[in-house]
Amino acid sequence: MLIPILHRQRKAAQAAAQAIKEAGGTIEQTRRVYGTRLLIRGLLWASVYLLSRGLLELTIPSAAARVAIALLPTPFFIYYLWTWMKGVSEMDELERRIELEALGFAFPAAIVFMMTIGLLDLAITLNPDDWSLHHVWLMMPLFYYAGLWRAKRRYQ
Amino acid sequence: MKNRLKVLRAERGWSQQDLADELGVSRQTINAIETEKYDPSLPLALKMGQLFDLFVEKIFSLDDVAATETRRRGAK
Repeated sequence: MLIPILHRQRKAAQAAAQAIKEAGGTIEQTRRVYGTRLLIRGLLWASVYLLSRGLLELTIPSAAARVAIALLPTPFFIYYLWTWMKGVSEMDELERRIELEALGFAFPAAIVFMMTIGLLDLAITLNPDDWSLHHVWLMMPLFYYAGLWRAKRRYQ
Repeated sequence: MKNRLKVLRAERGWSQQDLADELGVSRQTINAIETEKYDPSLPLALKMGQLFDLFVEKIFSLDDVAATETRRRGAK
């Protein structure tokens, strides 16, 4: 009487352990898929940005066309951002903390950088070919990746 | 905070990846907890207790400085 019950319980425990293992496998797979998607969508956005930038340096007389070209990368960036945010929601607690610390570094670093550029521009009028918004925004992702590198190192 | 996670895992012959899969976290998270660089959240600590069939305080304990501070506050 007792043996079949114990046997059933053991079988159920084994099935539960297997389900947990499979769920773990799925988590790893989800992470890989997320990483690949983020990379592809990031490359897509960067390509459209470079295309848009290249087109805007040509002499296109129509202002409407120029505005349309300038706005071209925006939906691709939103698509990239959406992928990133979805990925964050699926991260585990340490990965989320790393993201938070990366942004916690990037945000104040960006403020300090922009403030300094603004004040220097008032002081000595910086060359817009080097220091205008065309170029300066590229520092923002750099600050984020610097923060990400720093946070990842801390928990390695 | 100190913990006995590495010992408990080794006693069961599990790799960090095995434990990570069981708990639904990344291997890096297990490594960071074992090396005491990261303290897990309460739900994750409770899951560990459940998995090892131990009370959480048998896995995690305050380090000497934090324990002394807690005792000192309790004595006031």
